[in-house]
Amino acid sequence: MSAHALAATGTPVKAVYKHLDSLLQGIHDLHKAGFRDFTVLSPIPRHEIEEIMYGQQEPSPVRWFTLTGGILGGSMVFSLASLTHSNWPMIIPGGKPLVSIPPFLVITFEGTILWASMFTLFALLYFCGLPATKLPKETEDPRFSNDCFGIVFERTGAHAEKIAHILQNSGAVEVTGGGTHG
Amino acid sequence: MSKDLTYAQVNRDVMRPLFSPGMAWYGMMGLVGAGLAFGAFCWGMQLVWGLGVAGYHPPVFWGVYITTFVFWVGIGHAGTLISAILFLTRSRWRTGIYRAAEAMTIFAVMTAALFPAIHVGRAWQAYWLFPYPNQRQLWQNFKSPLMWDVFAISTYFTVSTVFFFIGLVPDIAAVRDNTRGLTKKLYGAMSLGWRGTDKQWHHYMAAYGFFAALATPLVLSVHSVVSWDFAMADTPGWHSTLFPPYFVAGAIFSGCAMVITLMLPLTKLFKLEAYIHVWHFEHLAKLCMFTGGILTYAYGTEYFVAWYSDNPYEWAVFVDRVVGKYWWVFGMMVLCNNIVPLLWWFKKVRTSFMGLFLVSIVINIGMWFERFNIIASSLAHSFDPGSWAYYLPTYIEIGILIFSFAWFFLWFLLFAKIMPSVAIAEVKETLRPPLKHDQEAAAK
Repeated sequence: MSAHALAATGTPVKAVYKHLDSLLQGIHDLHKAGFRDFTVLSPIPRHEIEEIMYGQQEPSPVRWFTLTGGILGGSMVFSLASLTHSNWPMIIPGGKPLVSIPPFLVITFEGTILWASMFTLFALLYFCGLPATKLPKETEDPRFSNDCFGIVFERTGAHAEKIAHILQNSGAVEVTGGGTHG
Repeated sequence: MSKDLTYAQVNRDVMRPLFSPGMAWYGMMGLVGAGLAFGAFCWGMQLVWGLGVAGYHPPVFWGVYITTFVFWVGIGHAGTLISAILFLTRSRWRTGIYRAAEAMTIFAVMTAALFPAIHVGRAWQAYWLFPYPNQRQLWQNFKSPLMWDVFAISTYFTVSTVFFFIGLVPDIAAVRDNTRGLTKKLYGAMSLGWRGTDKQWHHYMAAYGFFAALATPLVLSVHSVVSWDFAMADTPGWHSTLFPPYFVAGAIFSGCAMVITLMLPLTKLFKLEAYIHVWHFEHLAKLCMFTGGILTYAYGTEYFVAWYSDNPYEWAVFVDRVVGKYWWVFGMMVLCNNIVPLLWWFKKVRTSFMGLFLVSIVINIGMWFERFNIIASSLAHSFDPGSWAYYLPTYIEIGILIFSFAWFFLWFLLFAKIMPSVAIAEVKETLRPPLKHDQEAAAK
């Protein structure tokens, strides 16, 4: 079935699941009915959720940031050492070159790791939307960091009741919004 | 982990000590306070009167402070080793202990970082160590191992802290959801508003793997760089290519021993036996036995190389360490690092509380003496017999050594009080998820 583009109207819908297999069933049923614009909540990362939600997509783009940070950091720190020694030359006995690769490799390595980590951190914060201030209020349920899973629709367009029906049939222990309670 | 554990049970058990740590915790904080007060007095004396109050005299100007610096950097190895390398190798036994081990790493490096400032005497000028633009042409020499050390330690500290904090975020969010009022707001701010959405977990797991991969070479490089502080100098007893692997093995040896020393009482005190049991400690003990074996081999190789090199200065230092004035330091090192840990070859010892606890403390004492043996005995017995000396620390230096332990335990105890000591989300990952299928099967 083709995907439903949900208009920014309609009641938000939240479903709470006690069991992982019921949650997966719910996601599967929603996909089958053409709904893809929803958020899954889980107290832990589960590869089953990852596969069903992101199976066909590219891996996280965080990796490109890590690579860029590493290359940039290594180059910057090597340049810092080289330019410092070229501009303020210290005459060191033994005929050693001012820009000397082996001793500079140590801090180049440190710079590579440090910048790669910092870029990874910023990429993580950016892609995860952290600090999170704009998440739907329905996601603020303490059960989702404890022992329950959840599915939240921020907008349901004209399909609120249909969505609530699918969620309830898949084994959700609680569905709120969409005209359904319980 | 116990098969009977549920997700909700994990939340309850791990969060319980956060709000009521018990009287023993307050008792330990009292001891820490006393240690800090005495240490602060000693450091204050040194700041007022200068480095003359330490036991330095020519030619020994590296003593207890540098020994303690290397000791704490070494302790800081185990946490990231356990959290990063064992994560990449998918070792199941890391789950219960890695959080506290990571915290130990951060606090150990924070403790180590005090010592360059203490050691230079004028602590207020310690910022000269960093390469910052200035108008006095005081540019650092990037070919110096001391400069490498600044980069290595600060990178290790930063990356370990980020790795530690990122690991904590989902657990802080779980604590936030179990609190109210101002506490909830504080934990909410620290959790960065984490909700555990599919998008968050998707990027989180990718980034976490990268952090582990980036931290892994750091674990092996940091103590290699620290060892070059010595090995790059031509001082007899220091100038050896053996130093990097020798230092790394020693660091993992002492770091894992410190994890045992800290985690055994923590497990009892916070009643975390369902998550951390003898199985975890036995693995740590085995890691100590392995790295301790490498260390013993390195001690032997050092002597062989000194003898085989036919360098009289080198050989003289190594002989002096055994029969000279520092014989007792050498004796402590061998006894604590090579002989006593052999007890762990007996399963009965490495699986008993007292056997683990006592031997781990002995190893830590031995590893401090190892660094003192390397640093002080080499400087005191260098090339010129006319300059030979006998350095012993003063009470000021001992007070500052005590201060370092109090400082370290202060942070560790505070961590145990305000943060989950066991990784909640990762422990849950090791449990069988709640399945309707299981529930229905049980009902039948």
